[in-house]
Amino acid sequence: MKTRLPLILFAAALAVAVVPAVRALDFGKITKGLNDASKIIDTGKDAGKVYKGAVGIGPKEERKIGAAAALELIGRYGGLVRDPDISRRINLLGRGLARYSSRPSLDWCFGVLDSSTVNAFSTPGGFVFITRGLYEQAATDDELAGILGHEIAHITNRNALKIVQRSEAASGALSLGKKYSGDVRQASAVVDQVGSMLGYNILGLVAKLAESGFDAPTEFTADHDGRDLAATTGYAPGGLRTVLVDLQAKGENRKTMFSVHPPLADRIKRLPDDPASPASAASDGKDQPAGKTQ
Amino acid sequence: MKKHPSRLLLLAGLLAVSAFAAFEAGSFAYTKRVETKLLAEPKPLAEASGKLAFAHKVKVEEVQGSWLRVSEGDVSGWVFAGNLAAAMPDEGAKLDNVSFMASKTTASAATRGLDEDVVKYAQQRNLPNAQADLQWLQDTAAGITEADVDAFLQESKKGEFQ
Repeated sequence: MKTRLPLILFAAALAVAVVPAVRALDFGKITKGLNDASKIIDTGKDAGKVYKGAVGIGPKEERKIGAAAALELIGRYGGLVRDPDISRRINLLGRGLARYSSRPSLDWCFGVLDSSTVNAFSTPGGFVFITRGLYEQAATDDELAGILGHEIAHITNRNALKIVQRSEAASGALSLGKKYSGDVRQASAVVDQVGSMLGYNILGLVAKLAESGFDAPTEFTADHDGRDLAATTGYAPGGLRTVLVDLQAKGENRKTMFSVHPPLADRIKRLPDDPASPASAASDGKDQPAGKTQ
Repeated sequence: MKKHPSRLLLLAGLLAVSAFAAFEAGSFAYTKRVETKLLAEPKPLAEASGKLAFAHKVKVEEVQGSWLRVSEGDVSGWVFAGNLAAAMPDEGAKLDNVSFMASKTTASAATRGLDEDVVKYAQQRNLPNAQADLQWLQDTAAGITEADVDAFLQESKKGEFQ
């Protein structure tokens, strides 16, 4: 909320600034009419971007943004593993978790990327991906639930969407600034990439997701929220921590594992030392090995 | 090391309690699904005693493990804690529900293709294989119904079936 208020105020100020241009059109400078109208339409689009950045992107647009980003991730990570059993298992488990999240009505879908790297991603609108490398590392449903819970939390917390919104607001403001003040010259690399088919900076978002990642506090919050979601659903709350500890023991590090996440030790330190699978152990010791289909 | 079943049950119980620590008798909670059934007993297959729409504020009258007995006016019943939120759902969640209901009335999920703009994006970015993969994923996911998820949760003793 703190970051929205200045944007809303800025949007309001811009709206005031646009009024003279609208008046000019109303009073009919006929000879320049078409050019003026075109400028006003462009201005409207820019103001719209500022508005969206300030007050939010609707679910349909969010879904489109997420699908476009998903296309990029699928392209970067070797395509999808098209194994119906694996897909069914991960979708049942993922949707079982998502049902108890704060956004149960999203059209959730879960896929395995055909890459030996160890990573997981989520994009707005309900798309969650885990690499084959990480899928194979998760020894139990509890561990897989911990990983998926973390990614679901990124979506319910709208982490990626906020990046798009900030970029959108910055882009609209920059464009308006160029038109009306002429003294705005700074453009970030992210903003420069705006102009894709959807009108959003998809490549900038994907670069953030796949290369630089979210900041550490955002990741720690997703770890915490994902743990809670897994526990609420009945999975061992220590599932994610177990995966992280196992990977650390295998000598995995930031370069090869969750390279876009904070260091393993920092994440492990912040998660409670929960048992790996008490829930399943309590139910007659029945656990579901990873890769085994339901 | 052999673990005693009673210790494990106690541990599982404690973990369940900690996961729902936000709810206690006398506190308030909010419905977060399009429709939330209130049940006559704290069991997933119990008879429904009423239902509430999205974002209703309810009072938590009683807590039994991961089940809450809640009331709103004259309506009361049991709800699995995972179906309630500790805070009022935001506007975005409301819009999710509007979109969800609209999609239910326009076409079944299984028949929906990728959005036209997304297809154009894939073409513009020259990602035909990724487009085919995403379509496959969406079709596969759409082929899994809510009843399938219910059955999975019931079989694996998760969610309200714990």
